[in-house]
Amino acid sequence: MINAVKNYIGSLFLFELFKGLGVTGRYLFARKFTVQYPEEKAPVSPRFRGLHALRRYPNGEERCISCKLCEAVCPALAITIEAEPRADGSRRTTKYEIDLFKCIYCGFCEESCPVDSIVLSRVYEYCMEENGERLIGKERLLELGDKHEAQLATDRAEQAKYR
Amino acid sequence: MTDETLVTIEVDGRELKARPGAMLIEVTDAAGINIPRFCYHKKLSVSANCRMCLVEVEKAPKPMPACATPVANGMKVKTRSPTALAAQKGTLEFLLINHPLDCPICDQGGECELQDVAMGYGAGVSRYIEKKRVVSDPDIGPLVATDMTRCIHCTRCVRFGAEIAGIREMGATGRGEHMKIGTYIQSSVDSELSGNIIDLCPVGALTSKPYRFQARAWELTQSDAVGPHDAVGSNLYLHVRRDKVMRVAPRGNEAVNECWISDRDRFSYEALESTARLKRPLVKENGKWRELPWDEALDLAAGMLKGAGAGLKTLISPSATLEELYLAQKLTRGLGSSHIDHRLRQGDFRNDASPALRWLGMPIAEIERLDVAVVVGGNPRKDQPLIGHRLRKAAMAGASITYINPCKFDLNYGADQQVESPAGMVKRLAGLAKAIGVTGELVANAVVDDQCKALAGQLKNAGKAAIFLGNIANAHPDLAVLETLAGRIATATNAFFGFLQEGANAVGAQLAGAAPHRLPGGKAAETQGKNARRMLSDKIEGALLIGADPALDCWDPSAVRQSFSNAKDVVALTAFRTRSLESCANLMLPIGWFAESSGTLVNGQGDWQTFAGAVSPIGEARPAWKVLRVLGNLTDVEGFDYQNSAEVLNEVRAACEGVSLDNAIGEGCLDVQFKEGPLTRIGYVPLYAADVAVRHAPSLQRTANAADSALLRVNGATARIYALSSGAPISVCQGNGEAQLMVCIDEGIASDCALVPAGLAATGGLGPMFGEITLEKD
Amino acid sequence: MAEIRNFTLNFGPQHPSAHGVLRLVLEMDGEQIMRADPHVGLLHRGTEKLAETKPYNQSIGYMDRLDYVSMMCSEHGYVLAIEKLLGIEAPIRALYIRTMFDEVTRILNHLMWLGTHALDIGAMTVFLYCFREREDLMDCYEAVSGARMHATYYRPGGVYRDLPDNMPRYEEKASKWHSEAEIRRRNDARHGSLLDFLENFCERFDKYVEEYETLLTDNRIWKQRTVGIAVVSPYRAKQLGFTGPMLRGSGIAWDLRKKQTYAAYDQVEFDIPVGRNGDTYDRYLVRMEEMRQSNRIVKQCIAWLRRNPGPVMIDDPKVAPPKRDQMKQEMESLIHHFKLFSEGYCPPPGEVYAAVEAPKGEFGVYLVSDGANKPYRMKIRAPGFPHLAAMDEMVRGHMLSDVTAVIGTMDIVFGEIDR
Repeated sequence: MINAVKNYIGSLFLFELFKGLGVTGRYLFARKFTVQYPEEKAPVSPRFRGLHALRRYPNGEERCISCKLCEAVCPALAITIEAEPRADGSRRTTKYEIDLFKCIYCGFCEESCPVDSIVLSRVYEYCMEENGERLIGKERLLELGDKHEAQLATDRAEQAKYR
Repeated sequence: MTDETLVTIEVDGRELKARPGAMLIEVTDAAGINIPRFCYHKKLSVSANCRMCLVEVEKAPKPMPACATPVANGMKVKTRSPTALAAQKGTLEFLLINHPLDCPICDQGGECELQDVAMGYGAGVSRYIEKKRVVSDPDIGPLVATDMTRCIHCTRCVRFGAEIAGIREMGATGRGEHMKIGTYIQSSVDSELSGNIIDLCPVGALTSKPYRFQARAWELTQSDAVGPHDAVGSNLYLHVRRDKVMRVAPRGNEAVNECWISDRDRFSYEALESTARLKRPLVKENGKWRELPWDEALDLAAGMLKGAGAGLKTLISPSATLEELYLAQKLTRGLGSSHIDHRLRQGDFRNDASPALRWLGMPIAEIERLDVAVVVGGNPRKDQPLIGHRLRKAAMAGASITYINPCKFDLNYGADQQVESPAGMVKRLAGLAKAIGVTGELVANAVVDDQCKALAGQLKNAGKAAIFLGNIANAHPDLAVLETLAGRIATATNAFFGFLQEGANAVGAQLAGAAPHRLPGGKAAETQGKNARRMLSDKIEGALLIGADPALDCWDPSAVRQSFSNAKDVVALTAFRTRSLESCANLMLPIGWFAESSGTLVNGQGDWQTFAGAVSPIGEARPAWKVLRVLGNLTDVEGFDYQNSAEVLNEVRAACEGVSLDNAIGEGCLDVQFKEGPLTRIGYVPLYAADVAVRHAPSLQRTANAADSALLRVNGATARIYALSSGAPISVCQGNGEAQLMVCIDEGIASDCALVPAGLAATGGLGPMFGEITLEKD
Repeated sequence: MAEIRNFTLNFGPQHPSAHGVLRLVLEMDGEQIMRADPHVGLLHRGTEKLAETKPYNQSIGYMDRLDYVSMMCSEHGYVLAIEKLLGIEAPIRALYIRTMFDEVTRILNHLMWLGTHALDIGAMTVFLYCFREREDLMDCYEAVSGARMHATYYRPGGVYRDLPDNMPRYEEKASKWHSEAEIRRRNDARHGSLLDFLENFCERFDKYVEEYETLLTDNRIWKQRTVGIAVVSPYRAKQLGFTGPMLRGSGIAWDLRKKQTYAAYDQVEFDIPVGRNGDTYDRYLVRMEEMRQSNRIVKQCIAWLRRNPGPVMIDDPKVAPPKRDQMKQEMESLIHHFKLFSEGYCPPPGEVYAAVEAPKGEFGVYLVSDGANKPYRMKIRAPGFPHLAAMDEMVRGHMLSDVTAVIGTMDIVFGEIDR
């Protein structure tokens, strides 16, 4: 009986609605937690799987030896490699192409690479304006690798103990 | 074999029957029980040196190698017991100690027996942390790449060299840790079967050089094909990636090629990507070649063919497919002409009436069971390498093999090589016929010497004997006489009589009716056309060339030059654009070759082997049968409405219903027409000049076999007469043609003869393959 | 006289509350629904057939993309099936990590569900709050796997890498929006390991759930829209093949985590909430409670994981690739690395079914192996499919506006339904 009266009064005075408004009202004056991208950026994990890059050895020699494990393991068939002996007889790619539209960023290529050549970098801000740009070739990948080498090397060194 | 003679053994609890004396591994292989192995190979001798196949045998004190343990009645074997697995694991650990960490850069990676066995039987982690050994890599030629550090000393390649290729090219030197596999001296591996060591090598120590780093096993799709170069019709696998043939591997077929293929079949795929490939139709206008679209080209071709009409002369390669040969003859005959021939290098056509359908005369697999074999004018080792291999097997089993040739060939087994000049070959054969008791005018006058008598004795007493006519006999100007004599001898001695014919489809060409005197099914033609030699004896107005490069593929290049000199309507269906073809043809239509077209090849023993196209033809090229079909439509010839090559094949099949191959000599020609001059040319087509495709396979052309072909070979006595010295340049004149060659003194050549190769650009200006030549020193 | 007939209405596939690409053909009698016919397949990607063409491990990433709001749970179902096929079990630490992330995933899923469900019905605020919480959990995903959604983190035999010892931090540099001190405050929870960060979240999370309930549970509009809508009796729920909160909302205490326990669920304490009336409101209450229970499980896992370091991947070189330094130095390891990444492993012939309690219900994977390196057949049992199949029964007789509530209560994601 008392409960019924309580309920009736509660609902008559929109008690539960005011309680809800109290919650939203509190947030209205609380400190905002919005990160203002692009001036501010969210933290990125060293394990982040972003845009691909091909790395080089410190002496400038490209790491990739065209073993094609990444091509084999790629679930989306995004990687295309062609290889032939280089003038010095070593095994090298003549074509290393990644289709960014096919890629599902699973990171298997990086896992499979025996020489730490193909890596997924922290870069997540990239866009394409024309259709053909989705195919990134060996030169562009090496360029990306050169550009981000410091970060890539630090991240790999940090992660070495987990892998 | 009856059941009583079999022994019973038990493997992993399964009861198996086995032939006494069989090795354990043969029995388990047959039963589908897998035992890991590296050194064992069913076609090679047992060496038992890899120790990978150790299994536990009850009552044996320690694990036994399955490849070298003969079965015994009641034997109990465990292939997966803890003892066996421990032994296998231990063996593998030792093998991996010195194996380099090369998988990522090794071509074998992904199809490596060592990898597979390590996954299946090896430990997961390594205990070895010391230094690994390194071995230097010998350069063994343009076909096989070596990485000897990867070698696990299974010695399969060494045994292959000794037992199959017949030349001890590779060997093991040193012992233990210092053992190395290599060529004895720094030299290349030159066997015509050398590519097989690539397949044999269980690791990546011996890999294919042209295929080096090109693709991974898992990228390749496999499709069936048939060897396009010789009458063996080796069964092949094409390994294709992204519409490109990456390599060729053997497809096992005990009746044809066992598990081997010749280097020619293995590496000629390179010609598919040759820069000489014709990619678009070309027409010659005012001496210049212009590209033109297919529809225009086809209209033009149809006009040319119609214009030639009854005068049309069709020359088609004996390696063309059955469908192409059939359509070519149908088109030619439909246009009112009967001048079609595939026998481009045949020197004599007087025996056209019989034999009806030339073939090998016996199954290929039976060759190795012969007791006596006589090869007249031929070198199967190079011309039909796997028939050569079968002959070698026969010789190894004790057969006596005799060669009657104008020169001695480098053989890989002991044989009686009787060297005679071209005319002498006929005489020797006549002598042999006389010794055997064949009658006839020519035979009656023949001289019978001891050699003839001995050979006659062999033939008469042999359980299984055979007489083969080879490529040299085929080009011999008295081929008809050789055929008649050989056929009579065979009949008299109850021996097999067979032809080792040129091209991959000579039998098919006869069945398809691509000859002036034969209709499809090998029926005799009512109106006989001109044969290949006669077609070239007078001026040509209109011609259709299919897959043939007349100047290099015909018996008499100088006749080709003359007859084609003013031709206006020459349509060439060709896969390759060659200089010699450009000088003959007015219109070139690009066609697919080998893997680019479906078709059927009939090999020497009469197997119809059909294959599908594996890759699309290069550029705008089209399969030749399709081009011929459209040309049939455009020239309004009846019955050219095929939808696929199988329909063409069915039509040929129907025509060949009940037809059997037949080498029987009927009347036979015994008139000797060839007269030798002071110096006679022996024309011989080197291994890697056999057809237009082989001539455009770059790796084959870099081999030692190809390198030493542009030579004039004479024996010492002849050299003295003409004052020739080895290595000196010399001009060879024949008719009005001339060629520049180097002299090579070779005591194996008959006196007053010179071996001058044919099928090479260097000798493309000369006359017939057999004939008088003169020498001029510069 | 005018002819009176039912009106056919196409709801979706572009309707914002169709939750993806549902096309619902509704037969209406005025505002009332006479028949509902859901059309599926617009997001069909052939995942099952795709998985049958590649080595087992390569399909893990595609599992994430089935139910793309409960990623790791789908991975879990798949790797569990492979493990069953291979006859292996992951090390205990990996099991705890999986349990923890399954529950993180459940919270992620339920937050997504709550936000969109409320938004569909008309409560906008909750959506924003839910996404705020999701952000923290996705940071956990990223820290552990490198991807915020499609983790590809579980492997047959364990998980790819151990939990990281450091959380990534905001760059402590003043921007035009915030001072350095304010940004430093953002990093407060990020100074320790992933576990510290997650624990911090767990401590806050119960309060957040409280807030959502304050906004919704007693709200009269919310109740008017949900109470008595789409009532499913326990009997029908079973007959229709319901699982998860849809079944529990009808009062049946069925939860695979308890009934067919897997991972480390038998080691942690939690309760199964059940509804009473089987209506939309009850299912809402069940899911809210599940979030609290998940939070409880995550806390227990954090405590265990802190105390028990160890391997996170099975020590079986024939299935699990070797460590990278080993691979670079040892022949055996290199061969195994090469073969595992090019060819994969070959499970023995056989067939298995493994299921996990995904946030939406029973997610099962049926695998048939013929002994090759890829499945001969793969079948996915997606929980959403039988739920959607009950659409007709659930909305019949209700108003058009209730359709959005029913779609919401089903927690439909088309990635898994269309596969």
